[in-house]
Amino acid sequence: MHLEELDDPQKFSDEGVKTITWQEYVSRLHELKDEITHSWLAEDRVTSLKLSIKVNIEVAKLLMDTSAFEFYPTLFVLVTDIMDMLGNLVWLRIKQKAEFYEDGTFRCNLSESFQARDVCADAKETCYNWFSKIGAVQELLPRIYLELAILPCWCFLLDQPPDSLQRLVMMTRGIGDPVASAYCRLYMAHCAQKLPAHDIGYLVTCVNDIRVILTQILSANERTHKNVKLNKVLQVSLMEPTIEYIMKCIFNRLTQRQVNEVLSELGLMKNQEDLGSVSCVSIILHHLLKELPIEVVSSNVVQILHLIELCKDNSFGQHMNYRLLGFRLYERKSPVHIVNAVLDKVTQVIALYDSLDEYLKVVDAYIDLILQNQMDNHLNSILEGISNRAWNKGVTEDEMLSLQSLMVKLLSHFERLEDVFSLVQFPEILDVMYGKSQDVVFLHILNMTTRNDHISDPTSIQLLFEISQTLHGNIEFMNVKDDDGQVARSISRFVHMVDYGAEMEQHLAFLVDCRGAFGKLNDLKETLVHSSNSLAIQALKCAKKHPSFVKSCITFSEVTIPSISSHRQFDLFLETAEVAFLGGLVSHSDGLIDSAIRCLHALDIIDGFRTPSDAEGLVSSIRKLCGFLIIVPVPGLVKDISVIWWSGHSSTGSIGLGLKLAYNDTLYCGDSSYNQELVSLSKLVLENLLCAVQQEPSQAARGIMALEACNCIASSFMLNNELSSICLTLIETAKSCLSAKDRYLQSTIQLVNKQSPTFVGTTVSTSV
Amino acid sequence: MSVELKLSRPNRIYRPSETLEGKIVVKAQSSISHYEIRLTVKGSVNLQVRGGSAGVVESLYGVIKPIPIVNRVIGVKSSGKIGMGTSEIPFSLNLRDKNLERFYETFHGTNISIQYLVTVDIPRGYLHKSLSATMEFIVESDKADLLQRPLSPEMVIFYITQDTQRHPLLPEIKSGGFWVTGKISTQCSLSGPISGELTVEASAVPIQSIDIQLFRVESILLGEKIVTETSLIQTTQIADGDVCRHLTLPIYVILPRLVTCPTTLAGPFSIEFKVAIVISFQSELSKLHKKSDPKTPRLWLAMETLPLELVRTKTIALKQFFVSASKLLY
Repeated sequence: MHLEELDDPQKFSDEGVKTITWQEYVSRLHELKDEITHSWLAEDRVTSLKLSIKVNIEVAKLLMDTSAFEFYPTLFVLVTDIMDMLGNLVWLRIKQKAEFYEDGTFRCNLSESFQARDVCADAKETCYNWFSKIGAVQELLPRIYLELAILPCWCFLLDQPPDSLQRLVMMTRGIGDPVASAYCRLYMAHCAQKLPAHDIGYLVTCVNDIRVILTQILSANERTHKNVKLNKVLQVSLMEPTIEYIMKCIFNRLTQRQVNEVLSELGLMKNQEDLGSVSCVSIILHHLLKELPIEVVSSNVVQILHLIELCKDNSFGQHMNYRLLGFRLYERKSPVHIVNAVLDKVTQVIALYDSLDEYLKVVDAYIDLILQNQMDNHLNSILEGISNRAWNKGVTEDEMLSLQSLMVKLLSHFERLEDVFSLVQFPEILDVMYGKSQDVVFLHILNMTTRNDHISDPTSIQLLFEISQTLHGNIEFMNVKDDDGQVARSISRFVHMVDYGAEMEQHLAFLVDCRGAFGKLNDLKETLVHSSNSLAIQALKCAKKHPSFVKSCITFSEVTIPSISSHRQFDLFLETAEVAFLGGLVSHSDGLIDSAIRCLHALDIIDGFRTPSDAEGLVSSIRKLCGFLIIVPVPGLVKDISVIWWSGHSSTGSIGLGLKLAYNDTLYCGDSSYNQELVSLSKLVLENLLCAVQQEPSQAARGIMALEACNCIASSFMLNNELSSICLTLIETAKSCLSAKDRYLQSTIQLVNKQSPTFVGTTVSTSV
Repeated sequence: MSVELKLSRPNRIYRPSETLEGKIVVKAQSSISHYEIRLTVKGSVNLQVRGGSAGVVESLYGVIKPIPIVNRVIGVKSSGKIGMGTSEIPFSLNLRDKNLERFYETFHGTNISIQYLVTVDIPRGYLHKSLSATMEFIVESDKADLLQRPLSPEMVIFYITQDTQRHPLLPEIKSGGFWVTGKISTQCSLSGPISGELTVEASAVPIQSIDIQLFRVESILLGEKIVTETSLIQTTQIADGDVCRHLTLPIYVILPRLVTCPTTLAGPFSIEFKVAIVISFQSELSKLHKKSDPKTPRLWLAMETLPLELVRTKTIALKQFFVSASKLLY
């Protein structure tokens, strides 16, 4: 769309609108805007302005056509964007005229809050011309939009600009199309924000006019054709944002007195005290109620309720107003008798509702109030209402969301699961839920119960188990990864919390059930192993021992572990081995350790060590294994471990471990062949150790490492010559890396000296 | 080499009692010698008859002898030389010489045109072409001549129904009926708007548009006959589409400059104005006649035409501009 097309608007509107796609339409509007900006930037102000007024009249004409309903809001945004730009350009142009002479020499500087008398006659003339030029535009709608766009320019002419807004509001009444006129009012409210100070009377008129228009639309049945009637709903919904925005503008920073004035201007207050029984349109009432200051709502609840009752038209669901009132009421604590009165009325009204959706929408807003004030009779009656409607007609997707919100509110209100389930209708309602909402509610129930210490009631356990089963079953249908994690964590926690007390067999049976039921959850299996292990310990602690029961537990763990991901297996095997050992099941224990070490093999081959924290974890696990091996020596294993270990990596942590390992075995293992093996292993360890220390790239770290190694050696072994020299080497290394005053270095030196009193000659001097 | 006239006021509006001030700007590549530089102010009423209600014979006459208003010549600078580059020669002259002349306000119509021109002549002897420039300036009535009584705030109340129409209407409009009421000012200041209000009380056939049309009626005395030409000078839409019933719409029409002037009733000619409220109803028929003559009553139109007296008032233009605007409230 270029100027040529603008010259022939007929062509543009006849061919253009019908044949071009919406995208093209939009991009052309953007092009036009760019064109204006370019000519403006190119210092060609006059051309730019001429162009823009031409363009603006044409684009404003576009707004006269509301036949493409869906696009109207987008069109509005695009067009008003260009309008705003025009307004800005005109403002700059006049300001420039006021500040500079025609030949470009400086005249004066207009301050932020300049007065009309500061503006020279020339600039005033230009400004006046603009208003005249726009006044001469024939079409009503473009004329209004253009005048609005340049409205701030009145400041150049008069200190107290005329109340053009009131006139423009009245002029807007001439726009017959309801949608076009509503958006015109929206633009008016938007433009008025730019004016320094203005009365909001015009906005009140806007709302009143919209009300009259809506009333006529809604009552105009005799003149409606079928398709028009369909459009009616769309029309009203298109008008809604304009009403919303205007209401926002009205109630923005109003005093109480002003609020009352506005209300009486809107015809909603008979006298200054109460909201009267004058009719209103429900969509307007809705947005009014949304914006009313909370004090006004609180002090007029009953009147508002009455208004809502009277506003029953097609523009907006009455139930949505009841709903909104509920929310607003909850914003601030209201006296109980008021809440009671409202609830009595509302329950009475919604009792007649046939649709579950509407029923739920209202109830959802009041449930907080009911719970807060502990109105059990209301609670029961609404739950019954929901249950009846849900069982009669089923629940749709949309309704499910409301139901979900309601159930979650209920659940978060009650402390204990028993309390919720004591509500008669609660299980019934739970039964009608399905899909994602069901999952959400189930998850809430699960989390709610696992907040407490433990779960021992068999009924609860059974219920929660079933809930968990459903959640587990739905896991793969949940797309969001985090949700799954949440479910998995909650189920694990639940399993962890279950406590059958003395009924340990039952507990184990429960764990077996869980393993069967929740196959998808890896983390859970870990919990199962922990639980069964602790069950075994518990059984051991019991006065009368249950060797066979302990055995069952261990077996359960043993069987379960292999299905868990490999990097966790090691720890679990170890844990179970310890339990088995405690239970006196030595052969089990040996087998488990064997498995653990095989795990370590596999792990090394498969994964390596991905992150330092993984390595740390593994180091501590291996330490634990070694510690355990002290109690349960398993010949031939040591080498395995060390080989795995050293082929894997060498790090700070590993040094201590390696040494400790050798140390433990030296002290406790009597077997001579094994001892030999140990000696060679220890050598290997030491070599590796020295090598690792020397290879450490960071100087400071190398120093610390050397000291640590030295400390380990000195504290674990009787120092012979060989070892002493190693210690000395390490200390030298440390000295070369660290400051002489390093306390760690000094204390290490002292330790080494103490440990090898026989080697006075080689005593390390503490003064370096 | 060029000569240009620059007036002291950017809007070029002067009153007869005032001094016309400005400067002559001469741009020359080399210095030029000249005789006395003279400034001519000439104002006249130009009349011509074109079509309209004039007969064939009258239209043959074409242009009628203009009525002179003012014709004054003054010397600005005696003969001499103008230097190279840009030179400015200021001038000022009283528009009204003696109190005899009657100044009409500047007006550009179809048949009548009232124009004031200022011309500078720089004669340069026989060998060179003389330099000259002409510029139009606008004359508005003197404050002393302005209407002394305040503008009558009264408005004319109008009713437009199917029965007030003197032309045939579409049967559905006639039978369905409509009722539009309102009021409108019939005496207006040129600097203010035509104001009023209008309410559609009822209309069976949906309304397409309501427009306020401003007409100019120029009459010229031609021998024994008066030749009258009515032309539409501005259309302002006040309702677009089928507006809400019972809601009062404002009538607010800013008068265009130059093509309007105070209502003038001189002997040989007169300039008057009319305002028409035109209601167009939605009809298939109207779509076939998109570009029809606005003056012709059509089957789908209802209208009410009222005389409009335009006056020049003392009030400062801008004040009026909005005082009448704010009157519109409710």
